[in-house]
Amino acid sequence: MFLAFKELKYTKSKFALIISVIILISYLVYFLTSLAYGLASSYTNAVTKWEANHLILTVDSNDNMMMSFMNETQFMETEVSGDKAKLGLFPAVINNPGAENVLESRLNVYLFGVENDSFIKPANYNISGNQVIVDEKLMKSGYQVGDLIGISGSDLLLEIIGFSSKTTYQTAPVIFMELSAWQAHRYGSQTPPNLYSGIVVRGQVNNVSEDLLTYSVDKYIQTLPGYTAQVLTFSIMIVFLIIIVAFVLGIFIYVLTIQKTSMFGVMKAQGISNFYIGSSVVLQTNILVAIGIIVGFILTVITEVFLKDIVPLASNMLFISIITVAFFLFAIFGALFSVKAVLKIDPLKAIGG
Amino acid sequence: MKKAIIEMKSVTKDFLQGDNVISALKETNFTAYEGELIAIVGPSGSGKSTFLTILGGLQKPTTGAVLLNGEPFSNLPIKEKSKIRLEQIGFILQASNLIPFLTVTEQMVLYNKITKTKVNKDWMQALFTNLDVEKLKDKYPNELSGGERQRSAIAKALYHNPHVIFADEPTASLDTKKAYEVVKLLAEETKAQKKATIMVTHDERMLEFCDKVYMIVDGVLSLR
Repeated sequence: MFLAFKELKYTKSKFALIISVIILISYLVYFLTSLAYGLASSYTNAVTKWEANHLILTVDSNDNMMMSFMNETQFMETEVSGDKAKLGLFPAVINNPGAENVLESRLNVYLFGVENDSFIKPANYNISGNQVIVDEKLMKSGYQVGDLIGISGSDLLLEIIGFSSKTTYQTAPVIFMELSAWQAHRYGSQTPPNLYSGIVVRGQVNNVSEDLLTYSVDKYIQTLPGYTAQVLTFSIMIVFLIIIVAFVLGIFIYVLTIQKTSMFGVMKAQGISNFYIGSSVVLQTNILVAIGIIVGFILTVITEVFLKDIVPLASNMLFISIITVAFFLFAIFGALFSVKAVLKIDPLKAIGG
Repeated sequence: MKKAIIEMKSVTKDFLQGDNVISALKETNFTAYEGELIAIVGPSGSGKSTFLTILGGLQKPTTGAVLLNGEPFSNLPIKEKSKIRLEQIGFILQASNLIPFLTVTEQMVLYNKITKTKVNKDWMQALFTNLDVEKLKDKYPNELSGGERQRSAIAKALYHNPHVIFADEPTASLDTKKAYEVVKLLAEETKAQKKATIMVTHDERMLEFCDKVYMIVDGVLSLR
């Protein structure tokens, strides 16, 4: 509206200060959001990529997939409507035997044992023996198709035959092996027991044996060590920052409103309605927030481009939208104190006799 | 017969102060006709502002009524009174009359924005010429001298073509020469546009331009 815009134009420097505060805070909030989302994703990417509904582990494993040992009978007895797949999970330290300094090339990974015909294998081509599909993170560490990967503490050499995207588990890249090769490595034997860690189910679970436990995928993700604590910490930080914005903005606008009390009094005496003055205050707040968060968002995008390889940043449109809406709602809430002050201004005071 | 624009019929105003009833305005009858510049004088605390604020619909009278163009005004709901003030009354107030972040032109455009009407360029231009504010039209209030500010305020008060103009100490911060100019202009515009202008003033020098001078002492209005 006319009044709101004209005042912003006239008192640029005052409002520039407020905007810069909003820019800094919104930048921080957006940055934290993409960091939180990026970190959370790198915990769970490999799991969400299955597009599965359930995960079945042994009761004895106590939520720890690495401590879950399941046999063929348990797989056969698990009745699902949909699809089921065996999954072997084991951590490993890999190195690059071709590197100048082999020790320096060590990297933590997770070895996923999958069957060739299962839906949790990320690529279409068959893998057998020491052939593996690896997460693209390894590409950034200098590996290429055809390269060999050494496993620390073992003589096994794996050959990269392809890359998969968004397959990290607890922030470490995943290496997909054929299940029997995985078993051979896991149990250190050429005739390993036919065991695996869990069953991934896409669809409904109808019946499982009593010593097994069914998790929804979301539930399982929450059991990952540190995941819930981390997500909660970030969420609290973000929520508080948004509330702080509301207060900072509310106080700024309130002080400005109080400074203009006599002017608003004169305006009201002249018959300009509370509604017009009040909505002008709210609109002004929204303009400030809009400018602030647009710049804050652009800064975040720029930061993401430069820091993507160092920090796991990822934007999620849903979270960004929610936070943006929250910014506006809280800012308007802050501005309402000023509107209340406007309502209280007595036009009588404008006419001093 | 001249047309009565704003009238007070048996208006009184009492305030409660502690347990005492203070009678700020004793029973008052008052009429302003078109083309009249009326001065209200009186010492501080005599009831001048009570008189003006009741006339302007900013306070309700305890008894009696204010009529604007023959229609009841003082007892309307607050929102309607606001609307009537916006459309039919022009205010020229002491200092903070103009909005600091609007140029002289924008002060007038604001009225069109609020009422969602078109800017009346010809009329605005005429006012600029009459009141000699042509050069000032793109300036902000703090760039104007006291006299320029009051001339701009008069232009603004006349812009929306009100029936009544209330001027509260319009010459308070001006030297004699500027004050004469401003009141003379006000008198001329009142006559030319057939307004009723009611001016509260301390300034005895200005009374010669006025058609009627009322005096308020202790809440009693009398013609001088």
